[in-house]
Amino acid sequence: MAEDIKIVMFCCNWCSYGGADTAGTARMQYPPNIRVIRVMCSGRIDPQFVLKAFKEGADGVFVAGCHMGDCHYDAGNYKLDRRMRLLYKLVEDMGIGKERLYHDWISASEGEKFSESVKMMVNRIKELGPAHLKDQLEVEG
Amino acid sequence: MADKAKIGTMWLGGCSGCHLSIADFHESLLDVLELAEFEFSPVLMDTKYDEVPELDVLIVEGGIRNDENRELAEMLNEKAKFIICYGTCACYGGIPGLGNLFTVDELEEEAYINSLSTVNPDKIIPNEEVPHLESRVRPLEDVMDIDLMVPGCPPRSDVVAQAVVALLKGETIELPTTNLCEVCPREKPPEGLAMDFIKRQFEVGAPEKDLCLISQGLVCMGPATVSLCGAECPSIAIQCRGCYGPTAKVLDQGAKMVSAIASDYGIDEDKTVDPEEVANQLDDIVGTFYTYTLPAALVPAKMQKGGK
Repeated sequence: MAEDIKIVMFCCNWCSYGGADTAGTARMQYPPNIRVIRVMCSGRIDPQFVLKAFKEGADGVFVAGCHMGDCHYDAGNYKLDRRMRLLYKLVEDMGIGKERLYHDWISASEGEKFSESVKMMVNRIKELGPAHLKDQLEVEG
Repeated sequence: MADKAKIGTMWLGGCSGCHLSIADFHESLLDVLELAEFEFSPVLMDTKYDEVPELDVLIVEGGIRNDENRELAEMLNEKAKFIICYGTCACYGGIPGLGNLFTVDELEEEAYINSLSTVNPDKIIPNEEVPHLESRVRPLEDVMDIDLMVPGCPPRSDVVAQAVVALLKGETIELPTTNLCEVCPREKPPEGLAMDFIKRQFEVGAPEKDLCLISQGLVCMGPATVSLCGAECPSIAIQCRGCYGPTAKVLDQGAKMVSAIASDYGIDEDKTVDPEEVANQLDDIVGTFYTYTLPAALVPAKMQKGGK
């Protein structure tokens, strides 16, 4: 069961997705439980995306962007940072638990950090177990 | 008489406030009655659920809260040709939808045992011959085939009267698709729209005249709310609480507003403002941003441990 967990990961095109590429080119190993979705900027990540991922059955969501000051569009990641702080509170209130959501900054050269963060997140969600939100919402009546 | 359209009205998990807004059609009621006749309305007249006539138009208020609501909604779905989802409860679940943050057991215990005004020494929770609460509040759309959604808490009588008359005449109805800010009379302050603090109305006192409320530290839901009401509240210095629900382009009103407030907070000093600051100033995220639309949100109910 714990092997089946799914984590949706949002990566910004300029840094974190590059980080994923770097990890791939260097053949670094990380668990296959993540599904990466590339967006142009972490500032483009709407809370709706995160909630939709949970609704569709994700057990965790990982959002990655450029380091502070490195944003390709100047300040997209600063806006994401503030948004995530509110989102942690929201997912906690909705019973999903803020541990299932995580955001971090990964640059294009940090293949190592990419694979380490993914490992950390997968372990964390494995310990928490699968999220039951989707099953709960499918109950009739 | 025979060629008049037959209108029915129905209430499910609502408060009858929407029926009051129908009763508040005023003179327009005469225009409506010229074209149509009320044939079925448990709120306004004596009706029997086993003698429901075939209806041309059915106006339904309230969402699906218990199994009786569901049963009646399914029955009426067969009887009516054109169904108007009337009011925010019917469209998005409304305020009763905040009950989705609790389990049915918690709600029943609070209502029948813990509440201060209830005298129930034997701690009996009625469970026979009363409708049972469903696991969560759902918008009407989940059970009925909806032809038109008219949100509002309650919907503005004049707007709806016009819409109903147009509908009965066979004209097409166009409801606004823009957000509240488009029609709001308040202006953008010259120094920009950035929010520097979040306060509640009583902490701010009277807001500055004619200037956007968000820039004055009030959480106004206007950016994520449809402009059907014509910005009534902001024009009298009350922040919008989003009772008309989101625009058609928004999936989740609360999440959109979380995004808007977080982005706008200290936008002029993006790089120096403490990211935790905005979250620290908002205590009740769900209650603030999902007051009216929780059952229609992407995550419509609190995830219960064990997922049961």
